[in-house]
Amino acid sequence: MPEIKVTPLGAGQDVGRSCILVSIGGKNIMLDCGMHMGYNDDRRFPDFSYITPNGRLTDFLDCVIISHFHLDHCGALPYMSEMVGYDGPIYMTHPTKAICPILLEDFRKITVDKKGETNFFTSQMIKDCMKKVIPLNLHQTVQGDYNMTPDRHLGAAWIDKCRPDILISESTYATTIRDSKRCRERDFLKKVHETIERGGKVLIPVFALGRAQELCILLETFWERMNLKAPIYFSTGLTEKANHYYKLFITWTNQKIRKTFVQRNMFEFKHIKAFDRSYADNPGPMVVFATPGMLHAGQSLQIFKKWAGNDKNMVIMPGYCVQGTIGHKILNGQRKLEMEGRSTLDVKLQVEYMSFSAHADAKGIMQLIRMAEPRNMLLVHGEAAKMEFLKGKIEQEFNCYMPANGETTAVTTNPSVPVDISLNLLKREMVLGGPLPDPKKPRTMHGTLIMKENLVSSEQALKELGLNEHQLRFTCRVQLQDPHSDSDTLHRIYTHLKSVLKDYTIQHLPDGTVMVESIVIKVSSSAEDANAKVLLLSWSYQDEDLGSYLSSLLKKGLPT
Amino acid sequence: MGETEAVEIDDILDDWFIESLKSYKDLHVYQLEHPTQIIEWTSGKTVCVAGYSSGKNEILELRLPLKLLADEKKGLCAERDFKVVHGGFSEGPVCCLRHIPGTRCAVTNDGLNSDLQLWDLGADDTDVIRKTGSLPGTSVSQTGSRIAARLSSSPEVLHGAQSSAVQLTQLGTGQTLYRLEVDSTEPLSSLKFVSETAFLASCCDGTVYLADTRTSAPPQASPPPGECALWWTDASAAPQCRVIRLSSSGQAVVSDLRNMGGAVCRAQLDVQTSPRKPEDVTVVWAPALDGCFSVSGLSGLVQIYDTAGWRAEPQDASPLFQHAGHSVSSQHGDGSAPIFITTHVWHPERPRTLLSAASDGSVHVWDWVDPQTN
Repeated sequence: MPEIKVTPLGAGQDVGRSCILVSIGGKNIMLDCGMHMGYNDDRRFPDFSYITPNGRLTDFLDCVIISHFHLDHCGALPYMSEMVGYDGPIYMTHPTKAICPILLEDFRKITVDKKGETNFFTSQMIKDCMKKVIPLNLHQTVQGDYNMTPDRHLGAAWIDKCRPDILISESTYATTIRDSKRCRERDFLKKVHETIERGGKVLIPVFALGRAQELCILLETFWERMNLKAPIYFSTGLTEKANHYYKLFITWTNQKIRKTFVQRNMFEFKHIKAFDRSYADNPGPMVVFATPGMLHAGQSLQIFKKWAGNDKNMVIMPGYCVQGTIGHKILNGQRKLEMEGRSTLDVKLQVEYMSFSAHADAKGIMQLIRMAEPRNMLLVHGEAAKMEFLKGKIEQEFNCYMPANGETTAVTTNPSVPVDISLNLLKREMVLGGPLPDPKKPRTMHGTLIMKENLVSSEQALKELGLNEHQLRFTCRVQLQDPHSDSDTLHRIYTHLKSVLKDYTIQHLPDGTVMVESIVIKVSSSAEDANAKVLLLSWSYQDEDLGSYLSSLLKKGLPT
Repeated sequence: MGETEAVEIDDILDDWFIESLKSYKDLHVYQLEHPTQIIEWTSGKTVCVAGYSSGKNEILELRLPLKLLADEKKGLCAERDFKVVHGGFSEGPVCCLRHIPGTRCAVTNDGLNSDLQLWDLGADDTDVIRKTGSLPGTSVSQTGSRIAARLSSSPEVLHGAQSSAVQLTQLGTGQTLYRLEVDSTEPLSSLKFVSETAFLASCCDGTVYLADTRTSAPPQASPPPGECALWWTDASAAPQCRVIRLSSSGQAVVSDLRNMGGAVCRAQLDVQTSPRKPEDVTVVWAPALDGCFSVSGLSGLVQIYDTAGWRAEPQDASPLFQHAGHSVSSQHGDGSAPIFITTHVWHPERPRTLLSAASDGSVHVWDWVDPQTN
């Protein structure tokens, strides 16, 4: 029975470094290649030694598929392809391909420059890795980190009732019940409003894409509703980059955004203006969106340094910050920061960590599983002891497995491959005679299966494959004791066979041969013995069974 | 199945939302897969919820969002979600669930008869809530049992569906330790311990019995404080020792526990709906706000009243605060049957934090701002 084998190398019963090996139909596929953000040593990478203890992975993997650009799903990709070694194809969607290298480079810079790590992939390795990437369209691959309620940008995840043999899902968030988007936004607006009301400044460090635009639209609408006058600024670098990416990937966003973008340029706001760095020194309240998102360099860091000393101000971190960045430090409560040149910065402003992350929750995950109706569920990305209830819940409706890293789950499948038959081949079978096709009476036929299309005649297959046809004929000599003349013997053979093989076409041809189907029988006198005859039987490969039957039959001699 | 329509930003910034920026310190809105009729504290950070449909139901123990509980470090905590820390399955509906303090035990009743089910809520090494046994009911009744528990050296549970059949049962042995000696078979609306041994058995008709499990002496009975068929009761523990009785017509009567016959003060509350069943209404004294109580089920809101200004002569009372979150959210729904609030609870220590649940599966956690301080 054909099996599908699934082995998590990372994210089996632990969170981070998503990497799942799937063996299916004779191919080995790696799903995701993530980094575990909680470790600084080799534990941050998936354990590739499971594939091969040393050496390159190229011969062992047919392809790698990356679901999305979060570092816990793609962070180890350059390490795997360039330092461990893999030269095969890497598949991902177009937007993922565009964003991956940016995140990887940012991450590399922070890890090497800020934290001084040495055993890490280089910028060149990221570039070389991306050269192996083959971008795909959505129907060829499904997003990772799905969410059932729509982000303002992306559509809600929905899935056909595809009934896969295996559905692999993470379980971390399956035990979470998410607070509504409305309440997260309420908290954001409340914090911004309170700061503005007391005359403070709000800094929001953002990555070029995603949250920034959504939060801008929210603020703009709020400002209008509340008739607020404080300025809101958006760093121009952000606008250009974001515009560029949105134009490229507009088809990946949801209906509403598409409509908005078409009707008006999304970045023509009434209350939000382009930022100039001199504005940071202006007195009074203001809100500024600036890159980069983790406060590790650039404009957002410049502004942060100016505003950190005033307790009326606020910095809102809208996402995860990698270890080593200023963002990470202040989110850990650090109130004194060491800056370049040994100077210290006192952090007096209010620090707010807000999560707008896109993961699904218990309800969403169950909805998606029920929509897809898998034959088997496989849970990854959670701790075994904390997944028993979820496993039990899923098992009410589906088979469920939860392998640890390095453990293989094998699932049997029954893949039926529907195949068409070429008209010529069908016609030829009909012409050969015999009973009409009957499912209760299967009949062997010969043809060549070309997996790309349909079942065709051998001639067509040879033509398509550019091969010459070879005919295989068997010949066999049978010695018979028979005193008659050659032609009499032949006639006796003819009569004998006609009585024995009643269902077959037997012909006595004028050229001195007897033909049974395609088998040719000739008679000639033996050179050594005057009373002996030598029968020459010749048949093609297709009649091998009948041919060997005939030769055995004739060896027994002819009736008198 | 296509995309769910994204909500317009303008829809979100409705009046209630804008108002909420000032009227709530914290606000969290959740959607459970199935609605719950119970919210029961199992620790200062965890609550149990459970389904009440006729077939199989889930019992979940949820940990409150870390952000809500983090006080000084609130800003640094982004965690706004409920975490399902333990879960289990019940074969029938869960209409009443009581946690036995000092243990990881819970007792449930399905509302169809007076039998009780016993559960182990699970420890750190597992996430499964398991049924460990059952206790036979105290009477043949078609209404569910009320359940009460307090901290004691050996786990015990006080239960009963009607006033004639209240008993204290030891969980380990199933032994009956005490029985309430009352002839009336009036169905109970609540059972509550007011001290280690004293408890209040409140009937749906408004009669209240104050008894002590140490004595077999007959309980003190207090007749209904007014004309009405359906009443709900709550008692606050020492030192306040107040009892509030609320009728389905909105009459609110506050008495002293030690003098149940007299009324300290009365008021008339506004009733928008017409509650008919005992489970329609929840009345609770605020554990950490002197003289304040909350009520749900008289309207589509959770209302908080301050009895400080109430007098002996009944007057119309206005709520100090109203939580309209459930009815506001449901307007975005498909316009089917109006939702109603199934239950609500106060946080045992945080003065203004409440949790409320509604028939659409929503659960809200909110920390309101006293409008008088603004």
